[in-house]
Amino acid sequence: MWIEWQRWLDQLQRVIGDFAQPLTGAHPLVILPLNILGFWIGLKIYRRIGSPILHPVVGGSLLVFAWLVFMGVDFAAYQRGSGLLYLLLGPAVVALAIPLKQNLSVVRKVGWPLMLGLLVGAVLAPLVAVVIALLLGGSKTVLIALTTKSVTTPVALALAQEMHGIQSLAAGVVAFTGIVGAVFGPGLLRRMNITDERVVGFSMGVNAHAIGTVRALEISALCGAFSALAMGLCGALTALVLPAFVTP
Amino acid sequence: MALLRNLPRWLLGAGLLLAFDLAGRTLVAALALPVPGPVVGMLLLLLALMLYGRVPRGLAEVAEQILRLLVLIFLPATVGIYFLRDLSSGDWVALLAAMVIGTLISFTLTALLLNHLIQRAGTKRNRDSHVD
Repeated sequence: MWIEWQRWLDQLQRVIGDFAQPLTGAHPLVILPLNILGFWIGLKIYRRIGSPILHPVVGGSLLVFAWLVFMGVDFAAYQRGSGLLYLLLGPAVVALAIPLKQNLSVVRKVGWPLMLGLLVGAVLAPLVAVVIALLLGGSKTVLIALTTKSVTTPVALALAQEMHGIQSLAAGVVAFTGIVGAVFGPGLLRRMNITDERVVGFSMGVNAHAIGTVRALEISALCGAFSALAMGLCGALTALVLPAFVTP
Repeated sequence: MALLRNLPRWLLGAGLLLAFDLAGRTLVAALALPVPGPVVGMLLLLLALMLYGRVPRGLAEVAEQILRLLVLIFLPATVGIYFLRDLSSGDWVALLAAMVIGTLISFTLTALLLNHLIQRAGTKRNRDSHVD
C-alpha cells in the first residue's frame, strides 16, 4: 500500500517543485492556463458550430499545438508543465464508476440482449480495426494503438501504459474513432431503418465512447443514457480482458 | 460561505476517488495483474457503491465536475499525436483505414446484432403475454 502512496507523493512533490522553477515558456504557470484556454476556446467553437468534427478534443489540442510550435516548446517540456493534469488521470478513471452505478437499473431491465451486444461489440471494434491494419501492413505500434480505439480516453491511456504502447497515439486514435462514429453513425443506422434509440445509443457508446455519447445526448436523453452505459461497460470490459491478449 | 459549507463534502469526494485509485494500483501491484490500476479502482468503487446502496452527495458532485473536464484532463496526452514523427507513411495509411472503415463496420454490426436481439426479446415477451 505504502509504495504506491509514496510514488504518488513523489509525483505530487515533483509537480509542486516545477512551480518553483524560474519562469520559462514551459513553466506550469504558462502551460496550465494554456491548456485551460485551449480547452475553453475549443468548447466554445464546438458549441457554436455544433459539428462533432470540431469536438473540443480536436479543436483544443490543435490550438495548444499551434501555440507550442509558435513558442518553440518541445513536447517533453510541455508534458512536464502539464504534470498536474496527469495526476488527475487516475481519479478520472475511478470517477467513471458513478455514472455506471446510476445506470445499473437500466441494464437490469434490458438484461441479456445488451450484455451479449456489449460482449460482441467490445470484441468486434478492436478486432476489425486490427485485421484491416494487419492486411495493410501496419507496424506493431499501430496495432497496439488500435486495440484501445473504442474505449474512453482515460481508460485507453491507462491501457497504453500497461501495454507499453504510445499514449499520445492511443489518445489520437480514440479521438478520431469517436469522431468517425459520431459523425457517420446515426445517419448510417437511419439508412438501415434502425431507429430504436436504445440500439443507436448503445452502439454509439461501444464504438465511439465519450464523443459518441455527446452526440447521442443530442438525439435524446434515453439515447444518451444507453450510450454512457455502453461506454462505461465497454471500457471496464476492455481494460480487464485486453492486456491478457497483448503482450509487450 | 456556500463554498465553505460544501468544502468538507467535496474534499471527502475527492479523497474517496484518490483512495480508490491508490487502492486499485496497490492491488494490481500486489497481485501482478495485467490490468491498469485505476480501472481496478473504478470497479472497487462500483462494488463499494453497490454495497452502500447510494452515491454520497459529495462524491457525485466531484465526479460530475471531473467527468465534465475529462477533455481538459487528457488534453496533454492528446496533443502528443501531432508530435509523432516516427511512424512511416504506410503506418498512417493502415491507421486511417482501420479507424474509418473499421469503425463503420463494427458500428454497423453491433447495431444490427443488438437490434435483432432486442426485437426478438420484445416479440417473445409479447407472445408470452398473449398466452397469459
